[in-house]
Formats: sequence, C-alpha cells, structure tokens
Amino acid sequence: MTIVNFIIYFMIMVGIYALLSMSLNFQVGYAGLINFGQVVFFCIGAYTSSLLATKTGLPLLFCFLSAMIVSGFFGYVMSIPTKSLKSDYWAIATLAAAEVIRLVALNEGWLTGGPFGVMSIPQPLQSLFSMENYPLFYLLLVAMCVVGVYFCLTLITDSPFGRDLKAIREEEDLCLSLGKNTRALKLQAMIVAGMVGGLAGALFAHYITYISPENFWPIETFLMWAMIIVGGRGNHAGAILGAALIQLFNVSTRFIGAYVALGSDSMASLRMIIIGLLIIIFVSYRPEGLIKEKKKVYHLRTSQEE
Amino acid sequence: MLKVKNLQKNFGNLRALDNVSLEVEGNSVVGLIGPNGSGKSTLFNVVSGFYEKDRGEIYFKGERIDGLTPDAIAKKGLCRTFQIAKAPEKFTVLENMLLAAERQVGENPFAALFARRRINPVEKKNVERAIELLEILQLIDLKNEYAGDLSGGQKKLLSLGRIFMRNPDMILLDEPTAGVNPTLTMQLIKVIRELQKKEHKSVLIIEHSMKVISSICDKVFVLNFGQVIAEGTPDEIQQNDKVLDAYLGCA
Repeated sequence: MTIVNFIIYFMIMVGIYALLSMSLNFQVGYAGLINFGQVVFFCIGAYTSSLLATKTGLPLLFCFLSAMIVSGFFGYVMSIPTKSLKSDYWAIATLAAAEVIRLVALNEGWLTGGPFGVMSIPQPLQSLFSMENYPLFYLLLVAMCVVGVYFCLTLITDSPFGRDLKAIREEEDLCLSLGKNTRALKLQAMIVAGMVGGLAGALFAHYITYISPENFWPIETFLMWAMIIVGGRGNHAGAILGAALIQLFNVSTRFIGAYVALGSDSMASLRMIIIGLLIIIFVSYRPEGLIKEKKKVYHLRTSQEE
Repeated sequence: MLKVKNLQKNFGNLRALDNVSLEVEGNSVVGLIGPNGSGKSTLFNVVSGFYEKDRGEIYFKGERIDGLTPDAIAKKGLCRTFQIAKAPEKFTVLENMLLAAERQVGENPFAALFARRRINPVEKKNVERAIELLEILQLIDLKNEYAGDLSGGQKKLLSLGRIFMRNPDMILLDEPTAGVNPTLTMQLIKVIRELQKKEHKSVLIIEHSMKVISSICDKVFVLNFGQVIAEGTPDEIQQNDKVLDAYLGCA
C-alpha cells in the first residue's frame, strides 16, 4: 500500500467515524442520552445496506437510504425504554441492545452469513472510475456526507428543537413543567442519531466490501466515546476533531508496531490501554474536551436602542 | 378554575396529604400556607402531575387532570415553579426564557431542517418579549450569562420569568420570593398582581411571609399535617386559633 493510498484510507475512516461520533455527540452532548450501544447503528446500517445490495441488487442509493431508515427505526426502538428507565439504567440497556443485534448477525446465518459475514459488497459508481482513482472518489463521497450531516445537525441543534434537547440534558423536570413532551423529543433525537449512524455503517460496508460481526464489538462504542470525550461534547466540530485524533492515534500505533518488538495482540491491547488513559486524563483535567461547547448568544437587532 | 377533591398522598406510612379539598376560582390569587412539612409542596407536585396521587380528584377548567403527565398538564395551561429554583447550568438566561415560550415553531427535527423561514420571525418575537420581561425582573444585564451562575434569588426571578414568558391560565408558585431582597419582592408582588388583573390569570402561591400573603392574596388556605385546617381572607386566618396553634404550637 503506497503512502497516498494509506492517507486516503485513513481519511475515509476518519470521515466514517466522524459521522458516528457526531451521531453519538448529538445524543450525549445535546439530549443527554447516555448511549453505550452506539455501535448498533453502525452495525444495522452496514448490514442493511450490504444485504440489500448483495441479495436484491437494488440501486445502491436505495440501499444507503434503507440503511438510514432501518437504523433510524432502531433508534426509535431504543428510545422506548427511556420513559421508564433512568438515564444510567437506560445506558446499560443500550449496551445490551447492541450486543443482541451483533449476536443476531452472528447466529442468523441464513440472512447475515453468520460468522462469515457479507462478502463482495458492490461499490457505488465503481464502473466510472479506475482502480487507482476509486478510493479518491470514495473519499469525496464520504467528505460530502460528513459536510452534509454537519450542516443538517447544525441546523437542528440551532433550532428550538435543539434548545429543547439541551434543556432535557440539563433539567428534565423543568422541561416537563413547561409543557415539553420530553419523551417525544428524545424519540426524535434517537431517530436522527440512528439515521446518521446508519449512513456511517453503509459507507463503511461499501468501502471495505466485506463485513462480519467482528466489526461490531462493543469496543467500537468505546472508541466513539473516546472521540467525543477528547474532542468535546455539545458541538459538532469537537466530534469531528475527536474522530480524527483517535483514528490518527489508532493508526500511528500500527506503524510503531513495526519498530517495537511486541506481538500484534499485545499491541492492540496496549492501544486500548493508552486510549483508556487518554480518557482518564481528559475527564480529570479537561472534562469539556478540546473544543468547548459554545454559549448560545442571540443577536438582538430588533431593538434599536441597545 | 382549579378544584381539588379529597386528595390523598402517602409516602410509605406517612400521610402527606389527607383528604385535601380546595378550590381556586378564576381570576384570583390564593395563598397556601402552613408549617414546614405540612404538605404544601407535595400538593403542588401532585396537582402538577410530578407525583401520583393515591386517592381523590383534581379538576382544571372543569376537566379532570389527575393521572395526566406533567407536560400534558402544563400544556392545558397550568404551570408551576419549583421550591428549589431550577436553573439549567449550561443554558443562558435568555435561552431559559425562549425555552418557556409557547407555540414555538421548529420543535422537531423536520421543522428545524425545512421550516427555517417560519422559525425566525417567531424566535424574534419571543426574544423581544423575553427582553421586556427580563427588564421588569432586573435580569436584563445577565441575559447572556449561564443560569447556573446566577445567585439563588436571581434563579427564583428567572423561574418567574419563564412562567411569565409561557403565560399560562393558572400559575402555581412555590415560594417565589424566598431569597429575593425585600424591595424586589414587593415589586414582584406588584408584577404578579398586575399580570393577574390585566390578563385574568389565577395564581396559587405558597409563601411563608405573611406580609406577602396579605398584600396579594384574596383567599388563603392553611395546611397542617396534610389537612386543610382553615380557609378565609388573610385577615380572617390571622385570627384563627387553629392556625396560631399550628404555627406557634401553643394551645
């Protein structure tokens, strides 16, 4: 693999993880929904799109959209217990939900291929590009998705809906006392987050062209959490920065592996230990992350005197 | 306006509300007093839907509201404040006011994305109204500060501000003036009174200061050990033996 190809690969993965961490940040940083099963959207998006593409041969655009819809629907399903579970108990339920879906993918071989996964997933517009240029095109596609999602999420979080979500994060009882249907608001937030996560899953599946349950361990959720803890919550730029930094770190330790006499197994464990340390350092010394949540200031052009 | 009938609420073996019946007529300010632990805040919590009642009925504008969720009750036009003022930490004073506004556009992701044009004028109008109210409450200089950084008294003012912003038909105020300086307290009383007269609102207010009670209330209910022990005008209840007994503990 040449260095250019490697950089393109790296940037595509940053983009995919940026989508996942933006989706997680939308739940955690705005609505205060502690989701420990974020990987489930990634998983559902990847499987939905790749299964539709390989089994039915439908246009890939349709597969991508279906991935978003199915994953958004699962966001809705996950939000149902928020009415009876307090946030920390709900967090554990999400962890379990993600594992259930991974185990379904592992065991329902007739549909998902079981441990062998889904192979030879078609790539969008592959015929238009040469083998060398295709990754560059894919990078562009991922970048467009990141920009589009960033733009849409910014519109959403800047709106009265975003304000309601932030208020739920801060004081749910206050929202209730002001007549906000917090359950419906959380539900809508989870659908949006699910759709973004599903898009990331579809992009991943059609880029790697091979997925299996191995890709969707709970450790992935942990990485996404590391991204928003390091990058900062309550703003979308922080989520993207965090994704880039954690991915960079993940990749760079792979290079170090060539110079240090450690097996790949111990390297992988070491990587996790270091990311864990990074989380501890950030939580203790810079809990708001690298990019702080901005204070929302309204411009008052309506009154001339002031 | 609000009618509570034989309301009962237990916490384990403790009977916090025991057959409480009271009525708040439209267009009036009613006080609710009683010693600490007499059930005043519990009554608020049950009426506003935050606690489930054990027995009894609650009617608002002729409709039964017990069993509804707090947000549904608030939507019907019955809003409350909290004894310990809620002040979202990372949420500015102005954001607090805007949060409270009724009939906002763009409170769902779909509208947030596609109804930008309709959101902005409504937001602008709400900002204007919020600024007016913040001026009355003397919070205008703090409009872009985080609510979590305000003093206790200012948080109380802010919770009043949110209620005024929402402008419901009936307001339940839980010790709105505790921790607010006396001058501002009297101003607040005036504001509440004026608002009530101008817009024909009903107010049920928990308050410890007799001065506040007698200057604002048309009628007062006295609670003790979860029971209504007296009702009447502020003057009447100040001469009621049972009330004196409850407060001073002498027979």
